Amino acid sequence: MASATSRPLEYLEGLSGTTFYKLYKQPSTALAIFRRMLPDLAKCFVMALLYLKDPLPTADLEIWVNTESKKQRDNALSILGRLHILSTTRTGDNVRAYMVTDPFATSLRQALMGAEDSQSFGVFSRGPGETQTSIADLDEYARRQWEGVMGYMVGTSAFGGQRDMVNLSKGVKQLLQAGHLVEIRGSRVDITKDGFGFVLQDVNTQVWHILILYVQSAEAIGMDSVEVLSFLFLLSSLELGASYEKKHLTPNQLRTLTDLADFGIVYQEDPDAPCFYPTRLATTLTSDSSALSNPVTGSLTGPAGQTGGSGSGFIIIETNYRLYAYTSSPLQISLISLFTNLKYRFPNLVTGKITRQSVRRAIEMGITADQVISYLLSHAHPQLRKHNAAHGTSNAKGVQASVLPPTVTDQIRLWQLERDRLRATAGFLFKDFTSLAEYSAPCQYAAEIGVLVWKSEKKRMFFVTRHEQVAAFLRSQKGGGK
Amino acid sequence: MPRAVRGLLIECDPSIKAMILKYDEERHDYIVEDLDDENHLVIKESQLENLKVRLDQDLDEKIMQLDESESE
Repeated sequence: MASATSRPLEYLEGLSGTTFYKLYKQPSTALAIFRRMLPDLAKCFVMALLYLKDPLPTADLEIWVNTESKKQRDNALSILGRLHILSTTRTGDNVRAYMVTDPFATSLRQALMGAEDSQSFGVFSRGPGETQTSIADLDEYARRQWEGVMGYMVGTSAFGGQRDMVNLSKGVKQLLQAGHLVEIRGSRVDITKDGFGFVLQDVNTQVWHILILYVQSAEAIGMDSVEVLSFLFLLSSLELGASYEKKHLTPNQLRTLTDLADFGIVYQEDPDAPCFYPTRLATTLTSDSSALSNPVTGSLTGPAGQTGGSGSGFIIIETNYRLYAYTSSPLQISLISLFTNLKYRFPNLVTGKITRQSVRRAIEMGITADQVISYLLSHAHPQLRKHNAAHGTSNAKGVQASVLPPTVTDQIRLWQLERDRLRATAGFLFKDFTSLAEYSAPCQYAAEIGVLVWKSEKKRMFFVTRHEQVAAFLRSQKGGGK
Repeated sequence: MPRAVRGLLIECDPSIKAMILKYDEERHDYIVEDLDDENHLVIKESQLENLKVRLDQDLDEKIMQLDESESE
């Protein structure tokens, strides 16, 4: 969850106050940010404050939270502050107090209670079930487009055939290049380190990554980022399977729509059609549930999984590091081959072994052990999960971790650690103290200001990350002593 | 009179430390100060990359054989 949220959050935090002001005028944006970007505690605060008439004194809010959870409280408050949702004012008796800032508060209230201005949440062309395009069709379209993008990045053509490859538009390729996910040299496409990390992430994180790149590039060509952003948040609040009117959209939003169709985030029969359909990639953008079971890949494989053999639930790993992947998707095979020594390939199955060399090769390309493990985890075969459920462990954390054989995950991490056999800290070594007393005072001072890394009484030496303050302390002591 | 010396504090296994000490014996161009306990020493800042590459190479040579002798 944290990783999935952090990127859009980071981007949003970088925006200016006026941008927020404009963004929050849309009820759909306020709701999407509330639902997706805020930690639970922050949501509680917002809900509690939303309908208060007067600002709430800070001290009153602080006693809602146990003292042990001070860290979570501060974190929640700081996120709310950075997103310009909560501001501090002073009440009549000059007490510091919190209130929910205005365009956000109004918009969120409107979103919760049903607004007069229903355009903010899109205008139905036809409700779910009445359209010609079924949810299965939309899923299939989204899967094909998204895999096409991934396939383009990894260069699946090397792995036997352009089987139902999609034609990517020039815009998509430019966006991937601008985001440093691929490098284009002549006619060759080379994936970058960032790109490797990208393809192994779960779909929701990937979509966010792409969307933020899109917003940034939109700014560069002079489109209004607020318009694009609020459109993205609008998309995320639409209903899967329904179609929506296009005539209420601005020209820039229509342009965005066409670009997003290339990624499979929305679907339209043709660019001039009067309505569009959001796909599952769009509707799960701001929902919490996606982080748990990854419904995008899950549902994308539902109908197509057996034949297309992509998405989740096809990898089996044994405790002896052997890997069996029931897939014929060139994309998945090339992804697996990034960190596995593949040995045999059958029509619907590839087998291989995860070895020290194969993992190190991956790490040298810039893939981390955690990325490999999370990829394996999100694509683990139902049989592995079943096995895990049968031997269910008591604590919730253990359940997730032991879907994969712990020996394998531990070993992958160890192989990564092997590359970092030493930890280096830059700084300064203080030495040549004449007496223990002379040594211990500055040493203690360094510890107090938090720059001490290592010390040895025996050798009368200590190591600090910054020397200025310690040196000043030493000088002042010497001055005082004389 | 106390002195401050710029450097990199290295934290590592005793085995790695032994290897660094061995490299240093050749030309004394790595170590600023050997900190007498099992897993710390201070080296020159400029030598870190060089040291990492050299360690990786040597470790590879030693552990590689083990990996290959493993039966398939």
